Amino acid sequence: MSAIVCSHVDKSYGATTVIRDLNLSIEEHEFVVFLGPSGCGKSTLLRMLAGLEDISGGEVSIGGRVVNDLEPGERGIAMVFQNYALYPHMTIFDNIAFGLKRQKVPVAEIKKRVEAVAKTLGLEPYLARKPTELSGGQQQRVAIARAMIKTPKVFLFDEPLSNLDAKLRNHMRVEIARLHQSLKTTTVYVTHDQLEAMTLADRIVLLRDGVIEQIGSPAEIYRRPGNLFVAGFIGTPNMNFIDVAVGRKDDRWALTGAGATFLIDGSDFDLRGVHRAVLGIRPPDLKTAGGGDSTNLLQGTADLIEFHGNDALVTFACSGKEVSALVPARECPVLRAPVRYTFEQESVHLFDATTGASLRRQEKA
Amino acid sequence: MRPYRTTPGRIIGKTILAFAGFMAVFPLAWTALNSLKNNVDIITRVPRLVFTPTLDNINYIIGRDSVMTGLYNSIIACGFAVLIGVVLGLPAAYAVARYPNRWAGDIQFFVLSLRFLPPVAVAIPLMVIWLQIGLYDTLPALIVTYSLLTISVIMWLAIPAFQAVPKEIEEAAFVDGYGAYSVFWRIALPVAARSLIGAVAFSFVLVWNEFLIALMLSSSNAKTLPIVASELSQQGMNVPWGILNASVVLLSLPPLLFLGVLSGFLNSVFRQKKT
Repeated sequence: MSAIVCSHVDKSYGATTVIRDLNLSIEEHEFVVFLGPSGCGKSTLLRMLAGLEDISGGEVSIGGRVVNDLEPGERGIAMVFQNYALYPHMTIFDNIAFGLKRQKVPVAEIKKRVEAVAKTLGLEPYLARKPTELSGGQQQRVAIARAMIKTPKVFLFDEPLSNLDAKLRNHMRVEIARLHQSLKTTTVYVTHDQLEAMTLADRIVLLRDGVIEQIGSPAEIYRRPGNLFVAGFIGTPNMNFIDVAVGRKDDRWALTGAGATFLIDGSDFDLRGVHRAVLGIRPPDLKTAGGGDSTNLLQGTADLIEFHGNDALVTFACSGKEVSALVPARECPVLRAPVRYTFEQESVHLFDATTGASLRRQEKA
Repeated sequence: MRPYRTTPGRIIGKTILAFAGFMAVFPLAWTALNSLKNNVDIITRVPRLVFTPTLDNINYIIGRDSVMTGLYNSIIACGFAVLIGVVLGLPAAYAVARYPNRWAGDIQFFVLSLRFLPPVAVAIPLMVIWLQIGLYDTLPALIVTYSLLTISVIMWLAIPAFQAVPKEIEEAAFVDGYGAYSVFWRIALPVAARSLIGAVAFSFVLVWNEFLIALMLSSSNAKTLPIVASELSQQGMNVPWGILNASVVLLSLPPLLFLGVLSGFLNSVFRQKKT
């Protein structure tokens, strides 16, 4: 049985439609991440699951029960907010216990459960303190404890790590991942940070303008982006895009653009009847070309070099088109040196120039 | 951080502040001192800091029936008016702040407009109304009238106080299973308490010091302390300065006590009990 089902869900504020005819099914124990740029409707969708926003149309069910008209407290969910939303006038203990008190759980059991949860999250020393006496990371842990203690059917996380500094964010990300491993509670997690999405998710739901662009495992979305938007959004550094004209040369497809012609078998792609396409190639898929390489070359003059540690990102102009290659730092050229890069045809992505949809054959996807 | 340094600018600033503080506090202190002086010590050409203190003025004030009636009337009228203001004004302010509908803006403006009008414009029709009903010169009339003031002032100040409570905190409580009323009681009220204390105290001071409406709505029975105090100065040419000063002290004490008790009370109520 699916833990959460959204069918034909709409959300509009007056004349503005935020979410349009959204269909989504989330399995039990699954960790699903809603990913997308600001204003794509991902937080709104989460808040609709939580019951904090009305559902304008369609149906949402949680655990097999339609929840459209249920109060947040009746939905069997727990939520962690971006700014923690701890009750400032209560101690940490009372913050965590607040939900249980509502459920009329006996005082002795509340104490036992709060202490157990506090132990799991390392909050024992702080139970008597007020939220303002804690650091950001500790406050977020309290917020997670407050969600955990209710043993909900579904955890909802609304950008929980975006108020933390980079180092703490990595640390908390690992903690959330471990927590999910041990609790196995169905989790919906909203973020605009693709690293969080990639590392945490069983499945990513990529949203733009209130519409699902693609649903898939992190690997699927990274390796087989369904359209130009997904390809450009996922992956750091960003994928290179080159407008190409599609033609035949001998038995192969010839893609001409950026002052070069690239030859591919094209067996992965459905290129019949396509004249113009966008070729996508990820910077790490570009390899420094040896003297013997003569096909699929991108060349130019290195005009920006960003050192990343193990790797370096080399940006060069290829017939006026800016292209980046992520190469091992030891192969890094000097600034303004001529560079030549090549790629395997397996690493190529092709998109329709007008619709932006991937030209990859469906059965292979 | 920059080390603390004594610069000329800082000295000038502190001097100005000290002067302003002196300007504010000195008249109060002088009034308090004068209430303990004999008339001879007050009307002397050279102000006296050293004098033989006397309790005559204070005894005279406390001993007068009209003053004690005025004090009683003031406490009852202002106390109930503030109570009604709190009971009706705070929930109303919360509703306007959190559940705005298409009238929310109008409500806010209307509430504020009660304070725009000159008090006389409000007082005359009210006087006619109370006369017609037959409640003129009674405490209930004064309480209801003052409630109009306290409700509007409390709403006016409490709406932004409730709006300043982060919405997520209330949403977290909804997710924790609480309904709108519990969220108001257990979250919004305590979190906004500091600003709300200010609103309630301000409304109290406003009606406590209120003069014009009280003057027009009372003739003998429902006179409040400001009216009685003002009458003390109308006793002919020989102004009893000591007695006047003592009545001012008496008039100033309740608001101070009220503020102290109120903030202490709220602090203790909202401090979490140890479980």
